[in-house]
Amino acid sequence: MSKQVTVIGAGPGGYAAAFLAADLGMNVTLIDKEKNPGGVCLYRGCIPSKALLHVAKLITEADEAKDWGVEFPKPKINLDRLREWKNEVVAKQTGGLGQLLKAKKINYIQGIAAFLNSSTLKIETTSGKTEEQKFENAIIATGSTIATISSLDIKSKRLLNSTSALDLPEIPKRLLVIGGGYIGLELGSVYSALGTKVSVVEMLSGLLPGADRDLVSHLAKRIEKSYEKVMLDSKVTEMDEVKNGIEVKIQDKEGKTTSDTYDYVLMSIGRKPRTEGLDLENTKVKVDERGWIKVNKQMQTDDPNIFAIGDIVGEPMLAHKASHEGRTAVEVINGEKVSFEPMAIPAVVFTDPEIAWAGLTETQAKEKNIKYETAKFPWAASGRATTLGRSDGVTKLIVDPDTERLLGIGICGPGAGELIAEGVLALEMGANLTDLKLTIHPHPTLSETIMEAAEVFFGQSSHLHRPKRK
Amino acid sequence: MSKEFKLPELGENIESADVISVLVKAGDKIEKEQGVIEIETDKATVEVPSSVEGTIKEVLVKEGDKVKVGQVLIKVDENGKEEEVKEEEKTEEKKKGTAKDGEAEKKEEEKIRHRRTEEKPKPNGEKNIVEMKLPELGENIESADVIGVLVKEGDQIEKDQGVIEIETDKATVEVPSNVSGKVLEVLVKEGTKAKVGDILIKVETSEETGEVPEIKQEEPAKKEVSDEKKKEEEKRVSKEEIETIQPFEKDEQPPITKGAAPAAPSVRRLARELGVNINDIPGTGPAGRISLDDVKAFVKKLNESAGGLIGKGIKKEELPDFSKFGKIERRQMTSIRQKTAQHLSYAWMTIPHVTQFDKADITELEKVRKEMNQKAKDDKDKLTMTAFLAKVSASALKVFPQFNSSVDMERNEIIYKKYFHIGIAVDTEHGLIVPVIRNADLKNMTELARDINNLAEKARSRKTSLDDLQGACFTITNLGGIGGTAFSPIVNSPEVAILGVSRGSYEPVYNGEEFEPRLMLPLSLSYDHRVIDGADAARFLRWVCKAIENPMKLLVEG
Repeated sequence: MSKQVTVIGAGPGGYAAAFLAADLGMNVTLIDKEKNPGGVCLYRGCIPSKALLHVAKLITEADEAKDWGVEFPKPKINLDRLREWKNEVVAKQTGGLGQLLKAKKINYIQGIAAFLNSSTLKIETTSGKTEEQKFENAIIATGSTIATISSLDIKSKRLLNSTSALDLPEIPKRLLVIGGGYIGLELGSVYSALGTKVSVVEMLSGLLPGADRDLVSHLAKRIEKSYEKVMLDSKVTEMDEVKNGIEVKIQDKEGKTTSDTYDYVLMSIGRKPRTEGLDLENTKVKVDERGWIKVNKQMQTDDPNIFAIGDIVGEPMLAHKASHEGRTAVEVINGEKVSFEPMAIPAVVFTDPEIAWAGLTETQAKEKNIKYETAKFPWAASGRATTLGRSDGVTKLIVDPDTERLLGIGICGPGAGELIAEGVLALEMGANLTDLKLTIHPHPTLSETIMEAAEVFFGQSSHLHRPKRK
Repeated sequence: MSKEFKLPELGENIESADVISVLVKAGDKIEKEQGVIEIETDKATVEVPSSVEGTIKEVLVKEGDKVKVGQVLIKVDENGKEEEVKEEEKTEEKKKGTAKDGEAEKKEEEKIRHRRTEEKPKPNGEKNIVEMKLPELGENIESADVIGVLVKEGDQIEKDQGVIEIETDKATVEVPSNVSGKVLEVLVKEGTKAKVGDILIKVETSEETGEVPEIKQEEPAKKEVSDEKKKEEEKRVSKEEIETIQPFEKDEQPPITKGAAPAAPSVRRLARELGVNINDIPGTGPAGRISLDDVKAFVKKLNESAGGLIGKGIKKEELPDFSKFGKIERRQMTSIRQKTAQHLSYAWMTIPHVTQFDKADITELEKVRKEMNQKAKDDKDKLTMTAFLAKVSASALKVFPQFNSSVDMERNEIIYKKYFHIGIAVDTEHGLIVPVIRNADLKNMTELARDINNLAEKARSRKTSLDDLQGACFTITNLGGIGGTAFSPIVNSPEVAILGVSRGSYEPVYNGEEFEPRLMLPLSLSYDHRVIDGADAARFLRWVCKAIENPMKLLVEG
């Protein structure tokens, strides 16, 4: 008899789980309130934002081309068409997933589900029906939702969040981004390229908290040039809708408060678990004090036949982490002895330049007192980077000095998000720097910077003279 | 003539070491016995002396390197031919030494080959029908539940391939086939009970019957699972027939820091499937990288030495997040700390410890000791209580030979030692080190005192050599200098007993007429109950006390 699994939530974690379960011959039900699978990632996150960032990059490069002897007139932006194109991208992707559902014979229910007990769900379908369904195994993949600061959550159309910002209501003259994390900076970059004067306010002392400072510095420099203002160590204390804008009071480190009016404000301060309405209290599933569901390495909750994966089990909230967890949960249900145990989960910030890292960061190594060495290859020494007119990048390897094993990798520069994958593979394979050095990388490409960084470690880089220090 | 100097053998089970400093450079003139590099192993920091002399042409290691035994450290231009000859003699000698080992290996190989030839198919291709029976499962186990049948009629099976999966009170176990061939008939069913000796399958084979197969011992995790399964099953009475998935959290692949095993995802997954902890598997690749073959070899070895696992049924407990309670700091353990932790956990888990307490009257001994020490010229020659105890212990080991032994549980043998080396625990700022005094029975008290002084000093200045740390029969740990009335030391495995010394104090002792103030020294003897019984331990410690009180005993009996 085939096993049965019900997956609640069809984001990148949930649909990956459902698809694999179907491939393994299980009887699969997938529940989501959207018409097709996709979740935040496809509908309101990764995919639409990348579509817009691609446009932003095009605009920026067209402008920079005047230094290379090619001049374009200022671009005319048809906002309606741009929005439409973005929606087309989303529709194409989610529609494709919808077809896969049929091909894999997955029972897809458009609706929302709540637990009645440890083996029954109550499902309210979008068409208004309510039904009870038994399950053998359930996977909760309901993800996360936008967090807000309630005191600042004024009811105004001019206060955007990551979802409404993607809908491009208009191209504001001035936009304030609250939160210097990756969502705020990515969306800020889009608006900045479209012509908005963007400012960003961040509570901590640097942009992209958690990332190594030497990776962030190139981005920070570029942002300082293209944005109107970057306010660090500062926080928004008050917001009021005024005529044609929002008046914002910002307090800096010294406690000095200034006031300014922006056309729009984008609040992107983080995300919170979406457990509301699941009625988890009817099960043995436990959540931690911040609301994330507790799971073991098999993605199993305290209720043995209920699993949870993706954002809802906590950081890092990344689609690729969710799908890997989803697949792990399904394999466990299938009776395989597996565990969620990646060596590294890559993180990518799709700003310009991009920043990506995986494995141990230098910041963590210092915090945890881990012995390490770094090998850095600045992109100024890369031929390919020069041809792109982009020497504002760096490739950094974090190395165990005893075994010369790669412990972590960080990259800043255009295309860093693509380049990081090689680093992740190296980390998973337990590669050492000799492996990276001896792997032939194609010339002229940015990928060579990884090989050259390994050469730097041995004091043997072709394009960077830095003899091994003794 | 140019010569290479390679990293010599460092001791048992030590294959490599970290270079913490290089003491020579190219162009240096080097003499024999001069230090070339300083290395750190799990056990100690050691200077490696040169066996060659001449002018150094090249230094091939640097600080921070890991060097393997046999790796070339320096190249030297030798100036005299004579030296070279001697050198060659030495290597000849060495070769002889290794040749012996080689012979032993050869024998072992031959044995294996013999076995193989025994198993070779009969030349004429004659087919046999062999009944495979349920083999002995272990002491007191007569039957087991068959939880899975892994073969069916018509299957071609290989020797060592699993035939059925059974569950006993103790573990879930796969029963491997002792022959290879075609399965003619399967006589067991899932869910039934099988008795030892029951026929499981009939196999058509062209081989002669092999020996009774060894039973694979399942890893602890699975046992936990099955234990929990039982519990869960009890709980499930009311629940419907939904199969509950059992968690099997066992080990964790640590996050990528120095602790994470260098193994590809496919390799890590195989380890999980086979039920072994990837972190326990020694990697043969560069920088210890673990390959698929390493995992298979490790599992094979585990299966061969049933009972090779310890700590069964011990579930790992997660550490709480201490930072919730206040400020914390995490620091890497030093290699000595790691080794100490590992070694003592092992000793604690494998040795059933008992501690015997007693007191020795040292009033007279102290008088004599102080008198003699006033005459001693050198501080180093001063008699210490530890030196005296080393002497007494060596004698006691002669009188009670079971205290000078080690246990080999795999072969059910006790190894008795005919030498008397005494380990002395030394507290250093780098951690606990136990240097060893060789042949304590042949040395007089002054020699012992001097030896102990020297070793302790070497330990404190990190100059202890590996030789200094190996071969102890019995350990003395003296905390009397600090204080305390008694403690129970952990036996320094594979030794079987350890003597703990606390601080002596004046006590009223009744001499038959009145209470007299006597200086009493509290002693604790922890011992391995596998080889030593309580009465013997009481006798041993009494003998020690008596010898302290009346050193004549040493001359008469010791």
